[in-house]
Amino acid sequence: MRNPLHKRLPRELREEAGKYLVILLLLVLSIGFVSGFLVADGSLMAAYEESFEKYNVEDGHFSVRKALNRAQKKAAESCGITIYDNFYRDEALTSHDSTLRIFCRRTEVNLVCLMEGEMPTAAGEIAVDRMYAENNGIEIGDTLAGPDGSWTVTGLIALSDYSSLFSDNNDAMFDAVQFGVAVVTEEEFANFSADNLIYSYAWKYDTAPVDETEEKEMSDALMEALAGEISLETYIPRYLNQAIQFTGEDMGSDRGMMITLLYMVIAILAFVFGITIRHTIAREAGVIGTLRASGYTRRELLAHYMTVPMAVTFCGALLGNVLGYTLGEDLCAGMYYGSYSLPTYVTRWSGEAFILTTVIPVLMMAVLDAVILLRDLRLSPLKFLRHDLSRGRGRRALPLPARLPFWGRFRVRILLQNAGGYLMMFVGIVFANLLLMFGLGLPAVLDYYQETIEENRLSEYQYMLQMPLDTEKEGRKLESTLSLLYFSYAVQTENEDAEKFSAYTLTLQQTETRTEEVTLYGVEPDSRYVTLDAADGEIYISSAYADKYLVGAGDTITLSELYEDTEYDLTVTGVYDYEGAICVFMTRSTLNALFGLEEDYFCGYFSDTEITDIDEAYIGSVIDLEALTKISRQLDVSMGSMMLLVDGFAVLIFVVLIYLLSKLVVEKNASSISMVRILGYTEKEIRRLYLSTTTLVVAASLLLSLPLVYRLLVVIFRIMLITSMTGWLPLVLEPVIYVKMFVLGMASYGIVAVLEFRRIRRIPMDLALKHAE
Amino acid sequence: MFLEIHGLTKSYGAGENRVEVLKEMDLAIEKGEFCVLLGPSGSGKSTLLNIVGGIDRADAGEIRIQGERMADMDEKRLTRYRRKHLGYIFQMYNLIPNLTVRENIEVGAYLSEKPLDVEEILHVLGLYEHRNKRPDQLSGGQQQRTAIGRAIVKNPDILLCDEPTGALDYKTSKEILKLIETVSRTWGTTVIMVTHNDAIRGMADRVIRLRDGQIRSDERNAHRTPAEELEW
Repeated sequence: MRNPLHKRLPRELREEAGKYLVILLLLVLSIGFVSGFLVADGSLMAAYEESFEKYNVEDGHFSVRKALNRAQKKAAESCGITIYDNFYRDEALTSHDSTLRIFCRRTEVNLVCLMEGEMPTAAGEIAVDRMYAENNGIEIGDTLAGPDGSWTVTGLIALSDYSSLFSDNNDAMFDAVQFGVAVVTEEEFANFSADNLIYSYAWKYDTAPVDETEEKEMSDALMEALAGEISLETYIPRYLNQAIQFTGEDMGSDRGMMITLLYMVIAILAFVFGITIRHTIAREAGVIGTLRASGYTRRELLAHYMTVPMAVTFCGALLGNVLGYTLGEDLCAGMYYGSYSLPTYVTRWSGEAFILTTVIPVLMMAVLDAVILLRDLRLSPLKFLRHDLSRGRGRRALPLPARLPFWGRFRVRILLQNAGGYLMMFVGIVFANLLLMFGLGLPAVLDYYQETIEENRLSEYQYMLQMPLDTEKEGRKLESTLSLLYFSYAVQTENEDAEKFSAYTLTLQQTETRTEEVTLYGVEPDSRYVTLDAADGEIYISSAYADKYLVGAGDTITLSELYEDTEYDLTVTGVYDYEGAICVFMTRSTLNALFGLEEDYFCGYFSDTEITDIDEAYIGSVIDLEALTKISRQLDVSMGSMMLLVDGFAVLIFVVLIYLLSKLVVEKNASSISMVRILGYTEKEIRRLYLSTTTLVVAASLLLSLPLVYRLLVVIFRIMLITSMTGWLPLVLEPVIYVKMFVLGMASYGIVAVLEFRRIRRIPMDLALKHAE
Repeated sequence: MFLEIHGLTKSYGAGENRVEVLKEMDLAIEKGEFCVLLGPSGSGKSTLLNIVGGIDRADAGEIRIQGERMADMDEKRLTRYRRKHLGYIFQMYNLIPNLTVRENIEVGAYLSEKPLDVEEILHVLGLYEHRNKRPDQLSGGQQQRTAIGRAIVKNPDILLCDEPTGALDYKTSKEILKLIETVSRTWGTTVIMVTHNDAIRGMADRVIRLRDGQIRSDERNAHRTPAEELEW
């Protein structure tokens, strides 16, 4: 015979449709989003990894000042590589305020993935990077104009060697707004003036390296060999090329956060289920006692009371997966496509995503609810029959001071009666507020950073000089010395604002797999740009460094040479207030001595006015406002659109949790509410008795959660920046954010309160009499 | 002997608050007997019923049911014992609110390997026309009849009734007593009924009076008075 208790289940679902629907909604949305994210992440990651072979991505590239002649090419290829022309020119577009890097159509390496439209077939036509086009509102058919020409856009593409749009490999962050890539036909490319071309050559090893170590060894050997043959301007092996590698490193780094978010939602919902089931058990204590006395086993009752929550969770997981593979995946893939220039991808079924978003949440729900339920069901049938579900012996009512007025006493009693539920409400509010603070706070943090960095930077312009790569040629000492002499002469300036500094780049181990480049500045002792007053031998770190890695005066930092084992342990003297970069300051003589450089060595200028009398060839990079705000601009583009979604989700969690738990408070007291109505209390007084406690708890939870959430967010934000980003953004939240959060929270509660007013009004007077049974 | 009780002792509380509810009680009940436990509040009658029913444990003493010692039964075996042998009727009906009358009775039938016919029970209990109603659509008497149906449908060896008419009016109480009488006669079920209503003693085979946790008298009725004729 089928267990007749099963017949209750559809009725339970019908009677409590509101409750189960909101829980289902929350489950479907969370699981849908995370499953969509994991599927998109997995599918795109696969597409990205396969792109290396599919699009024959280079093993590296180098550039030279003049195109190589046949003999030089032959000499270069004798080093065990095949080289391919990959010339380009950087066009400052006048039609769209940005720089477009235009390549000739590729046929052998770094092949192009056409995303939409057609490849250019004639002169005057161009295919541009899809993401750059989106960010700049460029569509097929539009005309792009630069100082030297104009082109009609025929297609949107992804270049396999530019999945992250880094215009310069030294940049802290890519910039898909003001930098893009494009291809034109050979015919069009031939029209470009040779003066503006960058002679870049991609190479592929004749024998591919087996692993990263070998790749590094091969690359080092190749650089040495090439430098002996040709004069290198840049040399970037693939494993160091951020435009290629960054995407792979960054994708997947959000996985942990997404999965944690999902499990937090599941855990909160499991506790909410647990609390509502406990309420049901308390309400049905007599029935449970009778059933247990009649011979129903604990397991049968456990299964009975868990069926509906489990069914709801299972449906949520199932529908969530459907949503994940349809809308969620598109949404999340869209998010990636909003950050990276990835090629087209094919959706892949992910067993891991299924386990993470379906099996584990269902198991989590089952285990958490079983533990909560078993704790209650362990009580003897007699206790159930006596409606005595307390665990301790002779639990007494907490004595309250007699001076406390009636309303106050009543509220305290309601608070104590629902302590578990209210605690859960607090946890839920903390969680929702965390999301809300992130959602509302991140755009504000980015704005704040953009605004303050302008005032906070070291100087208006910061020039990093670049010595051509051929100045140090082994075995050609005379040539090298001459080059150096010429270089020293060429980088002198008449600009009175200019102040020399020396710099050295070391790396900092961010995580096991990530390193961050740290610039060490050697500044003049009386520098007007870095007002340190540092004595020789003293080491200062930027406040960004101190905040990100939690180091301060007296601590020792360990930095290492790029791709070498040499390590430097530096003891920090103090922190210099500079948020723009993770860097270290000391006097120029200290730095030069530390790295064995000439006493008067320098490699850059700080200046508040533009330096115009140094040949651009010797300027490696200019750190101006645009460069410093790349990180915030890019975060705004790639995450800004998501923030609204996060806000919406946070509000949904608010509403659902507060709805479920305040509903419970009213239901628990339904019979008392009915009784006080009989006694003659007005609707307003009844609301004051039974809803005001919830109102107070919500308001108090919202207020109490703010400092807690801020602290949590600081930790999370730090971890996020350490695990997936170089650079630093100070988490500064303006007070208006807190006001917004409180108002949003109370507004969410307002919606619930209206529903609860109606629920209270619907409680009939005869309920109290019936409950005498 | 069907049910044997030797030296049963039970107390609640500790120290000064300790109350001895049952004091070395001895009792034996035969199969098919209709036994009424009479006594004032606090005499220990409900505690005795609960211990026999396996939902409370004695501090000392022994209960044997069909030769099997209850003290040897762990939690699982006790549940199996209740499932197999017992039917319970309480003063509170404890019906499942969102199941119909018929389904509430089926909740009892599910526990038995050889349940009685639910349709027949519905007819016997006069609930057939109400079979599709939910408990909140029934009167107190109808609810208690449903609770009886749930208890007897599993065809238990012992029917334990704890103040089954305590919440009912005179007329409905008599109806319920008649039903319990019918069950006892029709299916030969052993009935142990706890009540403080002295008038009910007439319908029993045996009347056991309890006071202060001890049996004060144990009488057999030479002639059982039909429930119909009971007056109080």
